[in-house]
Amino acid sequence: MSQLQEEREIILGNENVDAFDFDEVREFVKHADENLFISHHFGKKEKMLVQPRGGFPTYDKQFALYEFFVDANVDVLPLTIDSNTRLNDYSTAKKMLRLSEANEVDMLNGYPLVNHGYRTTRKMMTHFNHPVSLRHGTPDARLLIEIAIASGIFEIEGGPITYLLPYSKNFPLDKAFLYWKYVERVCADYSTLNKPINRESFGPLTATLVPPSITIVIQLLEMLLSLEEGVKSFSVSFSQQGSMIQDIVTGKVTRELAKYYAGQIGCEDAEIHLVYHQWMGAFPTNRDSADQLINMSTVIASMVGADKIITKTREEAVGIPTKEANAQTVANTQYTLNILSGLPTIVDEHEEEMLTAQVHAIMEAVFNDPADTLWRKVFNCIKSGIIDVPFSPHIINHNKMITIRDAQKNIRIIDRGNVPIPDNCYAYEKSCCDLDKDTKDIVNDIIHDIGIMQ
Amino acid sequence: MKIVTGVIGNDIHVVANRLMDLSLNARGYEVFNLGVNTYLEEFFDAAVETGADVLLISSLNGEAEGWSREVKPLKSTYKSLDKLIMMIGGNLTVGSGNAEDIVPRYKKYGFDLVCHQVDLNTGLDMLEDYIKEHRAA
Repeated sequence: MSQLQEEREIILGNENVDAFDFDEVREFVKHADENLFISHHFGKKEKMLVQPRGGFPTYDKQFALYEFFVDANVDVLPLTIDSNTRLNDYSTAKKMLRLSEANEVDMLNGYPLVNHGYRTTRKMMTHFNHPVSLRHGTPDARLLIEIAIASGIFEIEGGPITYLLPYSKNFPLDKAFLYWKYVERVCADYSTLNKPINRESFGPLTATLVPPSITIVIQLLEMLLSLEEGVKSFSVSFSQQGSMIQDIVTGKVTRELAKYYAGQIGCEDAEIHLVYHQWMGAFPTNRDSADQLINMSTVIASMVGADKIITKTREEAVGIPTKEANAQTVANTQYTLNILSGLPTIVDEHEEEMLTAQVHAIMEAVFNDPADTLWRKVFNCIKSGIIDVPFSPHIINHNKMITIRDAQKNIRIIDRGNVPIPDNCYAYEKSCCDLDKDTKDIVNDIIHDIGIMQ
Repeated sequence: MKIVTGVIGNDIHVVANRLMDLSLNARGYEVFNLGVNTYLEEFFDAAVETGADVLLISSLNGEAEGWSREVKPLKSTYKSLDKLIMMIGGNLTVGSGNAEDIVPRYKKYGFDLVCHQVDLNTGLDMLEDYIKEHRAA
């Protein structure tokens, strides 16, 4: 028995799992309908796929949510997992699920997939026969993704960096890399049976003034960590940044460099997709303004040429959205995509050149780290601040880089910290901003820059 | 002047904490930032370890109220913290409340300076004034 299979049997021997049948699950994946695979839909390249967010504790409520989504002409269904499951606390999730089932009140902020189990959940997934994307935020997702794939969920979001640095203060980063290696290997293994399982990185990170160079570097590194384990279909992503031209440039550079770096490790055969998140920062409390913002995001996603868009709702600032509001966003986004036509091609060669140079310089610094494996190189570079994510709560993050917006609301680096931004790029970034300011003014600018959409 | 700061409790709101760090450094403090999700005991331990002059606790989700009740009894178990300047700021209550009620309540909990929904720089000016007076006295 392989070492991976031994580990899988330990993981699936968890007391919350009801007799995992490896052979039956393999047969299921092998013969699963192609419509369940998002990789199949990406391959058709018919349109930008629309995917909302959403998860409720009980089976019935999740089912009802999916009915609303399907009526609104959804392309990809989400399964958002509750926060107890994300922290591997399945017993609390179980208790809260029981309370949610007994009363009309939701005691969980998502679907406790491990407690529902794959035999039950698979019924829902095969009933709707749509591709489903697993949204969680779990540093140790080994058990969760096993149950997800066995349920017919063939897209797994996350990664060791993007699901840790924005969400956790002190979960050990080195452990996260190893837990995600397991995820990649299991996804790669199942990908040989039918259409490939798609992996997606979480580009928004903290959604707070993260410069595009950092976003892209982390997207590329999570992509490489995944492809080197044998994953054949991967989505890089980012969220709306606040300036249309910066989004267009970011989209183009991300696509080009993803292809380039995949080729560098001999993975030209992998399919790489681009995903765009509607605005992930602080949302307006006014619901009508929120709708306008969402619509603008859809237009920019089209300019970017994204393969998939992930939507927000008009209730974002208020709390967990109702199924009605959520479905409405899907319908609105589809409407906008249907009527948008004749989009111009916009190119800013100078910005592309500057951004590309920054990404290459950081990637080179990562590859030059003396560690023996890619994940250890990345680990060392996060620790030393070569990769620095603004506003990450994690203790390992360096927090030396400072970013603000220029007059066009592009995110600019005014203090590079330890990040190896080339001197000419750094000088350009700073030249876009008014730097005759003291720290007090800069702090006030940052506060303003975070709230631009409110 | 040494200052220990951080966000109290199960509160992951990091933005203001980073800005506070930046502002305090610019004002010339030696900053020991414990970040988000910090428990009361960790604050006092850090104050002892660093020999801090000021402890600045912040809160956004409002759970500071619950923790603050334990400030006096816990602080009294440490021997060397009598001269520590105690400051708290942010959103200091769950739901709504006004500063006239909140400030005296927190002073009773053992804080010298209390800033409920006060602008960051205004709060740090208050701290500077307090330190000046304190030193003159």
